[in-house]
Amino acid sequence: MKAPGKLAALSLAALLVATACGGGGGGGAPAASGPKPLRMTVWTTTEAHLKLFDEIAEEYRKTHPDVGKITFDPIPFESYTTTLTTQIAGGKAPDLAWILESSAPDFVSSGALAPLKSKIENVSELIPTATRLWEKDGELYAYPFSTSPFGVFVNNDLVKAAGQKTPRELIKAGQWNWERAAAVNAAAAAKSGKSGLVIVNFDYKAWDNLATVWGGWGAKAWSDDGATCAFNGPEMTEAMTFLHKSIFTDKAMPGPGTTADFFAGDATMAVAQISRAALLKDATFDWDLVALPAGPKGPYAVIGQAGIGVLKKSPNAGPAADFLAYFTSTANSAKLAAYFPPPRRSQLTADTLAKTNPLLKPDQLQQVVIDGIAKGVVKPSHTGQAELAQTVRAALDPLWKPGADVKAVLDGVCAKIQPMLGA
Amino acid sequence: MSRRVRLTLYGLLCVLCVPFVFPTWWMVTSSVKPISDVFAFPPALLPRRWDLSPYRQVFELQPFTQQYVNSLYIAALVTVGTMAVAAMAGYAFARIRFPGQNALFVLVLIGLLIPSEVTIVPLFQMFHGAGLSDTHWPLILVPVLGAPSVLATFIMRQFFIALPGELEEAARVDGLGRFGTFYRVALPLARPALGAVAIFTFLHSWNLYLEPIVYLSTPSRFTLPQALTQFVDNYGWPLWNVQLAAATMTALPILVVFVLAQRQFIEGLAHTGLKG
Amino acid sequence: MAVTQLTRRAAGRADHPPPGRARRFWTIARRDALVGYLFVAPQLAGSALFVLLPLGLVGWYSLQEWNVLAGTFEFVGGDNYAKLLADANLRSVLTASALFSAGLVVLNLSLALTLAVLLNQRLRGTTLFRTLFFSPVLVSLVAWTIVWQFLLQKDGGVNGLLAVAGVEGPNWLRGEATAMLSVVVVQVIKNVGLNMVLFLAALQGVPRQLYEAAQLDGAGAWRRFRSVTVPLISPTILLTSIITVVGSLQVFAQIAVLTQGGPGTSTTVLVYYLYQQAFQFRHFGYGATLSVLLFVIVAALTLLQWRLRRRWVFHES
Repeated sequence: MKAPGKLAALSLAALLVATACGGGGGGGAPAASGPKPLRMTVWTTTEAHLKLFDEIAEEYRKTHPDVGKITFDPIPFESYTTTLTTQIAGGKAPDLAWILESSAPDFVSSGALAPLKSKIENVSELIPTATRLWEKDGELYAYPFSTSPFGVFVNNDLVKAAGQKTPRELIKAGQWNWERAAAVNAAAAAKSGKSGLVIVNFDYKAWDNLATVWGGWGAKAWSDDGATCAFNGPEMTEAMTFLHKSIFTDKAMPGPGTTADFFAGDATMAVAQISRAALLKDATFDWDLVALPAGPKGPYAVIGQAGIGVLKKSPNAGPAADFLAYFTSTANSAKLAAYFPPPRRSQLTADTLAKTNPLLKPDQLQQVVIDGIAKGVVKPSHTGQAELAQTVRAALDPLWKPGADVKAVLDGVCAKIQPMLGA
Repeated sequence: MSRRVRLTLYGLLCVLCVPFVFPTWWMVTSSVKPISDVFAFPPALLPRRWDLSPYRQVFELQPFTQQYVNSLYIAALVTVGTMAVAAMAGYAFARIRFPGQNALFVLVLIGLLIPSEVTIVPLFQMFHGAGLSDTHWPLILVPVLGAPSVLATFIMRQFFIALPGELEEAARVDGLGRFGTFYRVALPLARPALGAVAIFTFLHSWNLYLEPIVYLSTPSRFTLPQALTQFVDNYGWPLWNVQLAAATMTALPILVVFVLAQRQFIEGLAHTGLKG
Repeated sequence: MAVTQLTRRAAGRADHPPPGRARRFWTIARRDALVGYLFVAPQLAGSALFVLLPLGLVGWYSLQEWNVLAGTFEFVGGDNYAKLLADANLRSVLTASALFSAGLVVLNLSLALTLAVLLNQRLRGTTLFRTLFFSPVLVSLVAWTIVWQFLLQKDGGVNGLLAVAGVEGPNWLRGEATAMLSVVVVQVIKNVGLNMVLFLAALQGVPRQLYEAAQLDGAGAWRRFRSVTVPLISPTILLTSIITVVGSLQVFAQIAVLTQGGPGTSTTVLVYYLYQQAFQFRHFGYGATLSVLLFVIVAALTLLQWRLRRRWVFHES
């Protein structure tokens, strides 16, 4: 249901191509003498976030008179990457930019970002699962300022109404796994007439969100080196068979073409990033947040990520990197933790996080956030992600109907994308 | 016409118009429903509960008034400009003889064949190179002079071709020059065709979506169709009821104007000369 | 149009300079020609700058390979055209385009003509119906597609209406056939009003006496429609069909919102594919190559229709 945004993104991409052609790869604005202004593109429009950024920037300028005004330039999330790339290619590159995980491989491998390892304060403290995506040949190209695990939001009212055990009770009993989760959701959906478990943002298109399920089977989209398709592996086949059964046989998940907004009370459970907890501020039902259920391969976690990088093309790349070091220092990282789970080990404690996440209880933070970040894997990403994502989306479509031949569909996915992975 | 035939015809028309009316009806009524009722199944024809807060949010989240003004003034300029360009070109191609006329006409007609998607990128480059990206100039200049105005020129030419020559003859005998003849005689006669061109052009500009998104990046310069897709929450998720409220506000005034002026409107179209 | 010919000839004669003034340079004909050039100048300049030049540039880009992030732009000759010929997706893309355009043109024109004939009856209230059928033309395309996206959901308004009639509707946008049908119908309903009004105007131009004469000859309603109405409005049919065909090949936003080319690639038409390649996947050179292909197809189809007009368009001079 994000299509209008998608449309905007598509069309904005026209801008990208156009400017890139016209710009011919020139640098940013000529470096003026005097204080150098810095610009960082971000996708948040939340006032509290921007206010905090401005405070940190003001503080920095007190000790760095050579740096001029520091602006944080919000770009709508849906069209973020295309707009950013446009600006880079059109010669209007920002000095610093937030980068989404899905475009991380493209940015890191293209050489568009400046190396940061020597700049970042206490770099050894960063958690490896958080930095892996942003590294190449031992160098770090972006600071993973927001590492947000996926968890399961639960509408306890709907679960109890169906006479089922809540996930929290199941966790205590050591029974919180996908089989039980599916059973609970099927029962709750049947009882309430509402939906079962929703994988937020998936909508039978954004398949990378399914990593939150297939991770439990140890499945992968492609091999770790990115060269071999793994969609038709036995783990993926089992995971997808489970998904298919949950959707079409057990009715534990809403089928394609059905909209169910968990945060409005229309669904029993939702797999989403913890930042969505903010949407439950005024919730009228009893809700909970728990870790992802265990799969046949045991417990696991999936994280979403965002990094901040310095654009190599920026004429102010040096000062920009210095500012980034300040922005992400241990002290400021603690402030940012109010909204963005930090990658610094010393700050990933339930106490620190609880101060700034009033909606979440300490044990929720421990189980979902801290444990999640420690062992989490990121959603699948690859160079040329946009084309791969689209190709997989089209090849997976035959799966989303009753009676589909799971193995055949997955073989079809690999037949389509293997040539692209090899390239 | 027998009573039975008449009733059948009415029945047929009523059934046929459901898919034409229902979407607009649904858009308007859903924009005043609470978001949970928007998704209710089966959809209710009338809102059971009212929630007008989306209409307030429209103005809080975007500089909607400014965007409305942008769309209106751009559409107005494009309409007037296109009428002038197309009337002159159409008249010349139809009524004036000059060497190379046919070849030039065919050249102009190429514009009719080009989907705007094909040339949008080089056009953007040109405007970006001229320092005119993120301004309204491309949204005005291209429609007035480029491919979109070709249909208007074509309509005007068809109209002027069908116009009896005697009136002009008389005017010229009276000593009016070519321009005088065009301005004082032909143009007033062309009012219906100009009306049709105005309608086509206004709607085209008002609905333009791809171009604004490509050229504009500052929210206060956005046009309405572009603004419609910007009503999203902090996670990029569409605020459906706000989008519907904004969509209603873009559609309703046009619908009202149409209903009030529809006689002139349709009669204008009827005189375009498109009927052959 | 025969009248037109006469008047133009008459106008032409009048333009011949009177004998006595033939020596002067600024003859009426020359002055006329100057005014003619001045009148078409804005349109010509616009065409050159905003149509022909960009078109040439697109042709040039189709010979390049261009990497956005790395910022490289290099000449690759016919590589993109070789890629086009070898593109495994091309067949399904062209099939989808052909299905979409054919479906759209047939449905649009026949519905427009049907509505126009119905509204051309001597019936009270036709003005109201005319307004209703025309109203979607006035709703912005973006709003229209957003609304239909809701309506075509499995639990959406369309199936809600069908349920009232006791029919369980399909999951419109998820089945290959129904998805294509949906995008065609949504587009037809949006725009059929324009063609309807044009047909209505043409129908009102058909002299009643012709029908009366045909009726006297014993022709039934269908026969009158085929032998009187259709030939007399055939120039309108030609024009609307050209505009509709060209328009059908440009439909992009509806598909992007409603199906995003799916399910599978069943609704990935040429323009949408061009978008994906150039803008989404950043294969800009290849996108330009697809633009060239699109232009060739549109031009060929239009030329074909223009040629065919001699066969069936009545009283076209």
